[in-house]
Amino acid sequence: MSRNQKFAWFNLAVIALSLISVFSLVPSLGWQRAQGGLGIAGLMGLGVLFYRKRPGEVVMDERDNLIFKRSYIWGHGLFWLAYVAVSVGLAPAVYGWEGAVPVSVVQTSVFWAMFLVQASMSIAILAQYAGDSKKVE
Amino acid sequence: METLSNRIRRLRFDNGEMTQQALAEKVSVTRQTIIALEAGKYVPSLTLAFRLATAFGVRIEDVFQYESGPAKKK
Repeated sequence: MSRNQKFAWFNLAVIALSLISVFSLVPSLGWQRAQGGLGIAGLMGLGVLFYRKRPGEVVMDERDNLIFKRSYIWGHGLFWLAYVAVSVGLAPAVYGWEGAVPVSVVQTSVFWAMFLVQASMSIAILAQYAGDSKKVE
Repeated sequence: METLSNRIRRLRFDNGEMTQQALAEKVSVTRQTIIALEAGKYVPSLTLAFRLATAFGVRIEDVFQYESGPAKKK
């Protein structure tokens, strides 16, 4: 398994853990306070450790870099689509044209945006490596 | 339609049944990239193509074959 794949699986696992913790806290703490569970997402910062250099080992080659770049474009492209859809369509529909978006919604939207970017990037990474390790020697 | 095929698998066996891992280490890529190259799923950069040819001690044309189909009508 390449470093990119490990990175992608790790991010997906952290996202899943964050979502599970948020939704399991909702019944006892309520929606707003349960979003404290999003703090688990901070573990994603450890993902860089997968790219540590070891002597004599190829960490990332040109194909890995290309796959990462493509995934980055996918993730951020999808984010912009979602951002436009939410800002232009969903926000006025929920809060009204003269309404005000609560501060807590703005704060937590950062986490949801990060989840969207990281999850779509990770899925794009895994999709591009799909079927690689089937052909041995 | 343009196609780029390669003889990496053949050349590995002709070079003492070199493993994918051994070739990967020789040209500084991962084994997965060698697998993708052999399967025709990845087109390498020019520098990697030259590194592969050098690793086998052959010319780049002996590793990669380019075929172009009929040109598109303008």
